[in-house]
Amino acid sequence: MTTMTSRERVQHAMSLRKPDRVPLMCQFSIGAMMNLLRPSPAEFWYDGRLFSIGLVELCERFSFDGILVSLHGHSPDWREKIISFKQMSEGKQELTFEDRVEIHSWDDLPLVKYNNKIQRPSIDTIDVDKDVPDNIEYIPVSQDLYFIIDKEHPFDIFDYIKELTGDKYSIHGEITSPFDYLLDVLGYEEALMSLIMNPDKCKEILAKFAKGVGDLAEKMCDYDIDAIKISSPFAGMGFISPEHYSEFVLPYESEIISRIRAKGKHSYIHTCGHIDDRLELMRDSGTSGLECLDPEPVGNVDLGNAFGRVGDQLFIKGNIDSVNSLLYADDSKAENDILKIIETGKEGKGFILSTACSIAPKVTAERLHMLYNLVKEHGKY
Amino acid sequence: MDNYIEKISICIQRGKVNFDSPYPPDMKGLPGADELTGEALQNGIKANEILTGAMIPAMGIVGEQFKDKKLFVPQVLMSAKAMNSALKHLKPYFSSGEIQRRGTFIIGTVAGDLHDIGKNLVSMMIEGSGWDVIDLGVDVKSEQFLEAVGSNPNAVLGMSALLTTTMESMEKSVRQIRESYPDLKILVGGAPLNSEFAKRIGANLYAPNPQVAVEYLNS
Repeated sequence: MTTMTSRERVQHAMSLRKPDRVPLMCQFSIGAMMNLLRPSPAEFWYDGRLFSIGLVELCERFSFDGILVSLHGHSPDWREKIISFKQMSEGKQELTFEDRVEIHSWDDLPLVKYNNKIQRPSIDTIDVDKDVPDNIEYIPVSQDLYFIIDKEHPFDIFDYIKELTGDKYSIHGEITSPFDYLLDVLGYEEALMSLIMNPDKCKEILAKFAKGVGDLAEKMCDYDIDAIKISSPFAGMGFISPEHYSEFVLPYESEIISRIRAKGKHSYIHTCGHIDDRLELMRDSGTSGLECLDPEPVGNVDLGNAFGRVGDQLFIKGNIDSVNSLLYADDSKAENDILKIIETGKEGKGFILSTACSIAPKVTAERLHMLYNLVKEHGKY
Repeated sequence: MDNYIEKISICIQRGKVNFDSPYPPDMKGLPGADELTGEALQNGIKANEILTGAMIPAMGIVGEQFKDKKLFVPQVLMSAKAMNSALKHLKPYFSSGEIQRRGTFIIGTVAGDLHDIGKNLVSMMIEGSGWDVIDLGVDVKSEQFLEAVGSNPNAVLGMSALLTTTMESMEKSVRQIRESYPDLKILVGGAPLNSEFAKRIGANLYAPNPQVAVEYLNS
């Protein structure tokens, strides 16, 4: 077989066709990017150009076949609302805004402290028309951490990356599940209890978010990307039952997936932790693929078993344990774990070698080079 | 008497908070843990009997079922809410010394980490098993843990971390606390942790779920 470009390799795997070798494409956590690139942390977080240069540099440095654009909507005017910008120490900066203080560092995601605790509505008081936005204008990155999507520049980053890479790599966008937005808007505990206390209102909220996220995804599809990842970290067994998954996650993610599919792009769902009991439900969403599939002990998915159950219809992107196989393991264990995943994955129809969750901060460059060396040597079909 | 104990226990297990609560649907229109506990006390049932005969065993069952993935977070939260509605009736008896907690458990999410749902679940389950819980919140520095431990001799300490980066904060805190309190029991939990890590940093136990922490505390 002739050697494929990185983009072709990933495209083949996502279309359940065998490429020349197993593609390699991991998503970086912000902390991992910071550690490897050592940029000015606040500028890296807010500046779309700098962020895209970092994504491309890491992809090239570690010979990955694709780039996941985990943040989009960077504002060129991001400095305007900053009251003060203080360099605390090397790799650590404090940004003061009117309503909050942000600590940006090489360690991980920014740490945000609001002047006043965020007041969230309860399920009884929330006004779906007023409190749930028609358009998605923020990404709920983590607890109380938001990335605001600039209305005028929602997808500029895809153009920046295209300028830097042309057609070489497979570029993927990312959106957040309506279920995540529900948890964020009400607060985790209130939202989870509301699933059983007021399911109908939860569904109203989810429907509105699904429409907004679907609109966002459709517009994202107009850019030269190959796939959209749907981040749905709270939809696993660690939080909700399969019945609740069917009721509160599946219909809304399915709606978005069908809109992505109609635009001719692939989609894949990323749900962390224990998901073994719902692989078929996830497949039924119509998604092209699944990402993550955390193995023991972080999750409970056996890769071979997963391919046997859903691998005829879906590609799988995973499932290296970023903590126990990359961060803490010795070289021998890391190599064995990765090789086992490559061998198992090659048996499936569509497989992309990746970490299950994102590359943990502090994973060394040597470990990341190991991924390419192993897939190059053992990943050929 | 058994009737009240059994009914309160069922309300907690099934998350029936009070009369007005529509959950669970098949108990709609029935009194919940709140009303039944008040009535039980008025009818002469001892607070200790309610605590040890109904509440603690009920939360134990909930914890087991959560561990076995027969219950999930929404149901556990409702059970904890029902338990709290019963517990508020017992507060005067705790204050008077008529009934006593099993001990004091201090918990917090370590410095640099703002995640709290795992910590909150553990707090609820441990409180439901008869312990007094001091929740220090999130982003807790070593000094704050040390101060709380110093003010509560014989307490057990729990720490949570959800990020690989904040596992370092956890390690630092455990080592600092160990210098002053070498015999303190310390439990740790959080998605990226494991037993090996807990052992390496000097914690006594890694709790992969709340019930493991409850069983350890009550052993």
